[in-house]
Amino acid sequence: MSLAALRRLILIGLMLAIGAALATAHHVFLTMGNLMTILQQGSLTGILAIGFTLVMITAGIDMSIGAVVAVTSMVAVNFLSYTKIPVLLFLPLSLFVGVVVGSLNGFFITRFKLPEFIVTLAMRGILSGLALMIAVRDSTGFIQNVYIQDPTYLWFGGQAGPVYIVTIAFLVLAFFTQLFLKRTRAGTNIYATGANPAAARLSGINTTRTIVGVYIFSGVCASLAAVFISSQMMTAMPDLGIGTEMDVIAAVVIGGTPFTGGVGDVWGTVIGAVFLALLKNGITVLGISPWIQPIVVGGIIVLTVIADVWYKGLAEAAAARGARRARDAAADGAAA
Amino acid sequence: METKTAAGRVLLDCRGISKSYTGPQVLDEVDFSVDRGEIHALVGENGAGKSTLIKIVTGVTDRDSGELEFDGTAIPRSHSKKAAQELGIAVIYQELSLIPGMTVAQNIYLTKEPRFRALRLIDLRRMNDDAQALIDRYGFPLKAADLIDRLSIAQRQTVEILKALSDRASLMIMDEPTSSLTSAEATRLFDIIRKLKAEGISVLYISHRMEEVFDLSDRVTVLRDGRKVATLEKVKIDPAEIIRLMIGRDLGESDRGRRMTRKAGEVVLDVRSLSSPGLFRDISFELHRGEILGFGGLVGSGRTELVRAIYGIDAYDSGSIRYLGKDYRPSVRASIAGGIGFVPEERRLQGILAPISVTRNIGVANLDVLTKAGMVSGRRELQFARRGIALMNVKPDLPDMPVGSLSGGNQQKVVLGKWLIRDLRLLIIDEPTVGIDIGAKEEIYAHIEHLAAQGVAVILVSSDLPELTRLADRIIVLRKGRIVKEFDEGVVSEEDVLLASSGIVEGARR
Repeated sequence: MSLAALRRLILIGLMLAIGAALATAHHVFLTMGNLMTILQQGSLTGILAIGFTLVMITAGIDMSIGAVVAVTSMVAVNFLSYTKIPVLLFLPLSLFVGVVVGSLNGFFITRFKLPEFIVTLAMRGILSGLALMIAVRDSTGFIQNVYIQDPTYLWFGGQAGPVYIVTIAFLVLAFFTQLFLKRTRAGTNIYATGANPAAARLSGINTTRTIVGVYIFSGVCASLAAVFISSQMMTAMPDLGIGTEMDVIAAVVIGGTPFTGGVGDVWGTVIGAVFLALLKNGITVLGISPWIQPIVVGGIIVLTVIADVWYKGLAEAAAARGARRARDAAADGAAA
Repeated sequence: METKTAAGRVLLDCRGISKSYTGPQVLDEVDFSVDRGEIHALVGENGAGKSTLIKIVTGVTDRDSGELEFDGTAIPRSHSKKAAQELGIAVIYQELSLIPGMTVAQNIYLTKEPRFRALRLIDLRRMNDDAQALIDRYGFPLKAADLIDRLSIAQRQTVEILKALSDRASLMIMDEPTSSLTSAEATRLFDIIRKLKAEGISVLYISHRMEEVFDLSDRVTVLRDGRKVATLEKVKIDPAEIIRLMIGRDLGESDRGRRMTRKAGEVVLDVRSLSSPGLFRDISFELHRGEILGFGGLVGSGRTELVRAIYGIDAYDSGSIRYLGKDYRPSVRASIAGGIGFVPEERRLQGILAPISVTRNIGVANLDVLTKAGMVSGRRELQFARRGIALMNVKPDLPDMPVGSLSGGNQQKVVLGKWLIRDLRLLIIDEPTVGIDIGAKEEIYAHIEHLAAQGVAVILVSSDLPELTRLADRIIVLRKGRIVKEFDEGVVSEEDVLLASSGIVEGARR
């Protein structure tokens, strides 16, 4: 069994165990409504995390995604209420916010060889200011939230049967992104760029284009998440989504995509996102203070990384032993 | 025995040092000593065991057996870098061990800063004064308050030396200290080295540049295949003699070098007056179908830069390239599409995608063939990988294994294999067998020869002289970015190539 498969099995086992514990602890947990809410929450983080996964595979990081959610939701909700252009025309325009931000991130990172963290952190600051600037204010200067009334827009926050639309969108996006990563040339370029940019360039891969591409994709994922979040909340606020980077990083890291690049996939991230949503839901269901959630999330990131480092040490020792055995066998063969 | 070294003139005394990592003996019963105030050169081909010997002396690696004595003190089999430093053994690195954001004084006194008695705060003024006094004593053009970032490589080297002096080092080890210096800077370094000698400090000097070795050294020790071949006194130092000792075959045998042949037939690559400022100048050559063209020269002579420009990784300034009879503007993509393969030097840094599977490593150079409408065929990719693995005899033959977990030889087989399963017209290989065991080496040689026999043109850059003379049909030697010698007829020995590389082209030959 591959390492990634083993990791997923362990995570799913853990989820079942935690779920069983929560089910016995509180009767609300195992209701259809609650389970669907977990999936909905997991999906919102998960859509962001899918874009983030691709960035992490190139050994980069995108700290701007939360602020992209804020700006996109402000643009979408405010402009929609003023311009009254049809939603189906307007949504692609909202996603374009992500394209623009991602292009800028990618441009500064590749053109000026700046650290990804700094560029996207600066972008986060700029965007969160922008989100405040474009907010609608009343005569006294207080921000007035615009409420969404358009039924097509509100549909995105709704359900199809028991399942939330966002969950369906998340799984569809995950499926196609995974296919893209594993089966297309562009996907291969992402892995190669993250594993060793120098070697990738020598194999004819345009690493600049690849890096710009993953930041654009990450931006678009954030904008898409913004549409779902604002629709679910029926409004937009200038701080919507800011701070979600933490949950997103946790989901990706739990899912087995390391910070070192070249490794990782989307299904791991999907499981990571649902796992995280389950934990947070458990904290709520048990009636524990919600302030403990970020502590748990931070703790999980550290624990996962410790486990990964520990496992990597074991795996390397095993590989070294294997190589020695192979060499000895070869030497014996040569002697005989 | 102790009295002999403690009071005598011997500073470092190695007796019967042996070491093997895994498999072959890297050092075999080496006896070697450095006197007080002596400049002692250590020479030998790549892989002769020089670095390992240095590592043992400086405490980086443990020896398997043998006695080591420094300044009359016996050094235990396993001693630390710090212990070696405290004894007075210093290694002068080029720049790695200095901290760029700090001043010269801070670097010299790092971890031993003078401090006030109260609160143990660092006494910055005293540190600067001490550093400046040290600098002035040797007359270096440096200021104690200069930031390391602003210094040239040569100046950084002097800071390294100052740091060692402040540690009261009695032995300074310099490994290829002039490899990135200009000739004026190198001359200045030699003055410094002589000054150190006058102060009674010993210098162990490792270099491939013969003329430096002859100019500077009191004695020269030659290592070959892990054994000490000879230690020669200054009066007996003769360039040709040393080179013969390094290569280590008797004269009769060394004449047995390979016969060079100029192949006729289709010209695959025609390079005319290719130049790139500071890297290489006015390089012209033709390469024919089925020909293996070797590039010899010292590290830093411009060979790697030249082949990188031909493959399209770096731009060149002027000159022209014709490939398969057409004008060619190189780019990596055009090169791959046009049937040129490239195996870079430094496998780990440029060759492999370490965390990724063997399959993908092979697939990544073949995406053009494996992709239809943007989709990579996983089934065909695996077929390709299996072909590459079988062709190159990669062990273990697991397509899913991350390449980083393979041994060095097998990593290189993967890098080579991804090109060999393509339809190649030209293969460029740069130092293909560095750090690879003999078995894998032979396999790689067999593949290169087989490829040439099939009509593929090969450019081989190598500092491994036996490799170069064994494989190449023709050898071009570069020195300081220019072609200094082309061997295209007659028998060429390793000695000939080394003499040309060192700039002693004919003079020293009998």
